[in-house]
Amino acid sequence: MSLDNMRDLYQQVILERYKKPRNKGKTDPADRYQKGHNPSCGDTIELTLKINGDRIEDVKFEGEGCAIAISSADLMAEALRGRTLTEAAEMVQRFQSMMKGEAEFPQEFRKLNAMRGVAQFPVRIKCANLSWHTLKAAIENSTPQPVGFVTNE
Amino acid sequence: MTLTQEKTLAARVRADFPILHQAIHGKPLVYLDNAASSQKPLAVLDALRHYYQNDNANVHRGVHTLSSRATDGYEGARDKVAAFVNAAHREEIIYTRNATEAINLVAYAWGMSTLQRGDEIILSVMEHHANLIPWQFVAQKTGAVLRFVELTGTQDFDLDHYRSLVSDKTKLVSVVHASNMLGCINPVEDIVAIAHQYGAKVLIDACQSVPHSVVDVQALDCDWLVASGHKMCAPTGIGFLYGKKELLRSMPPFMGGGEMIADVFFDQATYADIPHRFEAGTPAIGEAIALGAAVDYLMAIGMDKIHAYEQELTAYLFQQLNAISEVKIYGPQPDAGVTNRVGLAAFTTGAVHPHDLSTILDQAGIAIRAGHHCTQPLHRHLGAQSTARASVYFYNTREEIDTFITALKEAIEFFGGIFG
Repeated sequence: MSLDNMRDLYQQVILERYKKPRNKGKTDPADRYQKGHNPSCGDTIELTLKINGDRIEDVKFEGEGCAIAISSADLMAEALRGRTLTEAAEMVQRFQSMMKGEAEFPQEFRKLNAMRGVAQFPVRIKCANLSWHTLKAAIENSTPQPVGFVTNE
Repeated sequence: MTLTQEKTLAARVRADFPILHQAIHGKPLVYLDNAASSQKPLAVLDALRHYYQNDNANVHRGVHTLSSRATDGYEGARDKVAAFVNAAHREEIIYTRNATEAINLVAYAWGMSTLQRGDEIILSVMEHHANLIPWQFVAQKTGAVLRFVELTGTQDFDLDHYRSLVSDKTKLVSVVHASNMLGCINPVEDIVAIAHQYGAKVLIDACQSVPHSVVDVQALDCDWLVASGHKMCAPTGIGFLYGKKELLRSMPPFMGGGEMIADVFFDQATYADIPHRFEAGTPAIGEAIALGAAVDYLMAIGMDKIHAYEQELTAYLFQQLNAISEVKIYGPQPDAGVTNRVGLAAFTTGAVHPHDLSTILDQAGIAIRAGHHCTQPLHRHLGAQSTARASVYFYNTREEIDTFITALKEAIEFFGGIFG
């Protein structure tokens, strides 16, 4: 089988983060709390953010999903720490552009570029986007209560 | 196990399915997503083309030759479907878009007008969303109550639990004949007989049984039965509802429009007799004719032969899957003659999430389904977020199962290496 093709998609970092995500749990306090899901596949995520002023101090997630969804959420959580909400909103834009094959992240966020290969698998883009889509809602909804589920389908 | 019959049938029919002879990502296509939708033989594609090329016109209204041909073809296909499921009367077959529409037809036309507060509808926990949501609508509107039959320890339909649920309050039992996730074949004859003792009506969702075996509505004695054409070699956009004649006659219309009327005034109308009462608007004429061609095709092979062949293939699929220690299959294991389940296996593999598995197999040309297969409550009930599902039809071969198993093992190894 052409597992070599698969190594472009399932890079080592993706498999590692799927196996042992580093940012699972809930932030304390949870200043922002948002749930997201992909109804057609059943993947779910609960994202919590600890915020100081306009700066994100901590990000955690709970959820179930495939290797793409979980590793994407885990890498996202790490990259967001210490960023402002405005910067985070720009990163959402950039990630979604990367999923269209149109952009990538600069050096300081290079780990996120591990998700670049997903752009070649259109049906899986929603898996990678789930956490970012949920983040977008968390940024826009400034209450610590989720406004239902968001979906990117 | 003999290979003779299997090779003979698959070898005989594969040339009839042009779509199967293509490469996906450079590998020969192995199509194992038949429970979601089957492929179409040339006979069906030809019927569709022949209709649009030679006979296309609206049915029942025209006096001209083309309209007459279209009507003959459309109504002739109804005779074929009626014979296929052994309906006593041709007008007991109502064309619908698919099984989902057929269930909604019964839910709206019969359920909304008949059921009352406190009446009980018995479903099972293994129902497809199509046989759940319409009854939720009915329950919300009428105050009827939904009850759910649980599974046995082997993940079969729990007939004892069913018996304990049925009562004088039961007005409807709506259950799946063969589960699209567990694969189990449910004891529908018993289910119907027990329901009828209490005067309850029974609807059978036969989407996963009608394409694969002989289904006889008179022997089952069910009140309604639904199926989708696209899972039985016919095009999408056509399915059917079987209903007992007097019961269908007692039901008010589902949708209003042309075709379903007798006499229309500005303020009221009278309705056509069955089956046309339930076929408002211009129907899927070409698709219905192609469904007739699919029935002809399946009957020419013989549903008994198709069933026997798929039993052998299913036994082989399970033998191979059971040999992989990481694989956990849902639903009952097949019995000695594979009489208790249909040719599908929904499974998990531990390390590899079903969606990742499906992507990896697709790279090897293999089409399987991953997700909750429109049975989200059942997945929740079983504690599985999603499963992978391989499902066979009579054109699949043992070699294709081998290809699937090899790729599955490689995928498990690929992920397992990281996890080990």
